[in-house]
Amino acid sequence: MTSDGEPFEDTAEDLFEDAPCGYLSTLPDGTIVRVNRTFETWTGLRREELVGTRRFQDLLSPGGRIYHETHYAPLLRMQGSVREIAVEIVRADGTRLSALINSVLHNDPQGHPQCVRTIVFDATDRRRYEDELLRARRQEQETAQQLSRSLLSGSLPTAPGLEVEVVYRPAVSGLEVGGDWYDAFWLDDGDTIGLVVGDVVGRGIAAAATMGQLRSAVRALASTGLGPGHLLDALDAYAARHGVGTMTTLICAELALGSRRLRYACAGHPPPLVLSPGEDPFFAWDGRSTPLDVGPASPGARSEAALALAPGCTVLFYTDGLIERRSESLTEGMDRLLQAAATHRDETAARLAATLVRSLHDPAHVDDVCVLAARVR
Amino acid sequence: MTAVQRNNVIEHGRPDARPMLLAHGFGCDQNMWRFVWPEFAEDHRIVLFDHVGAGGSDASAFDRDRYATLQGYADDVLEICRELDLTDVVFVGHSVSAIIGVLAAAAEPERFGRLVLIGPSPRYIDDEDYAGGFTREDIEGLLESMDSNYLGWSHAMAPVIMGNEDRPELGEELTNSFCRADPEIARHFARVTFTSDNRADLPRVRTPSLVLQCAQDAIAPDAVGEYVDRQLPDSRLVRLAATGHCPNLSAPEETVAAIEAFLAA
Repeated sequence: MTSDGEPFEDTAEDLFEDAPCGYLSTLPDGTIVRVNRTFETWTGLRREELVGTRRFQDLLSPGGRIYHETHYAPLLRMQGSVREIAVEIVRADGTRLSALINSVLHNDPQGHPQCVRTIVFDATDRRRYEDELLRARRQEQETAQQLSRSLLSGSLPTAPGLEVEVVYRPAVSGLEVGGDWYDAFWLDDGDTIGLVVGDVVGRGIAAAATMGQLRSAVRALASTGLGPGHLLDALDAYAARHGVGTMTTLICAELALGSRRLRYACAGHPPPLVLSPGEDPFFAWDGRSTPLDVGPASPGARSEAALALAPGCTVLFYTDGLIERRSESLTEGMDRLLQAAATHRDETAARLAATLVRSLHDPAHVDDVCVLAARVR
Repeated sequence: MTAVQRNNVIEHGRPDARPMLLAHGFGCDQNMWRFVWPEFAEDHRIVLFDHVGAGGSDASAFDRDRYATLQGYADDVLEICRELDLTDVVFVGHSVSAIIGVLAAAAEPERFGRLVLIGPSPRYIDDEDYAGGFTREDIEGLLESMDSNYLGWSHAMAPVIMGNEDRPELGEELTNSFCRADPEIARHFARVTFTSDNRADLPRVRTPSLVLQCAQDAIAPDAVGEYVDRQLPDSRLVRLAATGHCPNLSAPEETVAAIEAFLAA
């Protein structure tokens, strides 16, 4: 009931004019043929300035106009409707109205497009909130990338007769850094280098921080002369004690340059690939144990293996991003790696690592990839 | 992976006839030719494809370095031509793909018989003595537009957009299901497209070309179409009554008639 006791009737005309959304009818080319009062009020543009003279796309920001022509217009033609397209409408005073629009294409009885009906929602608050989300997401991404970069920086060991190369590529479509890490460093004897490739569970800042802790722990433990197997035992204890890095997979290796002897231990990580001159490439399946900190730590439980490398031999450590693909088994990925490694075996360690990443890494997999290649002469 | 798989090549028409290769522009996929190709299917071998990152292409083939310039996309076109052994090709390119066709035809002229360039623009950003129609800020605005439109579903929808059928229920939520694209790749393609400058490539084209210019095209204005026509050694300009940037969708009859007249000439 209205205040004077008469029943209130909302006419279709009033509902159209003062609806809590903007109404807009246009010809198929965008020329405005009708707008409602709400749209006039929101934009400060009077209908005399709009109807018959302006096209809807003329009211958009320049960037929005490109989006209109390249996305909105084709979609509308093909689907007959579009929903929830974000646009910015430039008001009479030059300020911008953030809006969401839904449009329906109306055809004549012969099926030819006749007009487009659009409703405009004021999305000012929503847009502000979305901007905040975007900003926060980018900020986290940048922080994590910086953290990850600073953790992975530092030069690789060099020595006559040794090539160590790393290719580290963050996922193209991933929005956060992953937990892949690598390390290569001299041990105290001056003849042996420590080589590590690992993969921490999770993404973003937390993963980068965990990676940093484990990387430092491995370096510290390696300097005590534990050797790869016992090092993993100690790292298990460290992970359990400090509650970091559960389920991390990694490979720890020590390469003595004088003897070309490689000791390695693999905690749930993909096996190293060995390329010896004149032999087929093979995976080194020994020295395997579970990922980090998955059961009660029992000293001495981690197994370790050793390989005598022939002169010119290359060992590849890598993360699963190199072999995993959507809709494919891991075996297929590993077979592909074997084939690709055989094809490119004669290239330098640097080129080999780069070529393998380029040809095998599936960016759609949204995972990082890290490949470390070490070659002895 | 073959180029045919990578670029989701779909063929129609007569396999033994003259090939017509249709290349979609930025923001869409091969669906945008749906009103055009059937008109040529009777006397052409129709070849449709999606650029990497768009439609049903294999997004895993995306490589930032390869696609850092439009040449990477032109190389894809040439690879498709080689794999399908296409010669005397009628290349029909919309928007940025018109320029991709220009690059392909300049590189391997022997493959191409005719070029049809719909709304071409060799440079979008204004330069000294050249009006492309946009400023750098406008292009940043486009990227913002894309971001705000992808925001709602970029994460949740990624598996669907990438063709992952593990969760088919997500497909039903896709409101704008045509012209799907991987958001990150689309952003990259937008940047490469709208910051490109291929003016110097136009005089290198020897293939007879048709420039189709719409009225009131906000992306490729009239003066730009005229510029392209002037710079191409062997071209003709046809102005369409159609407005906007996608006459292949908004005025297919007129577009088809103009192409037919050009091919008959």
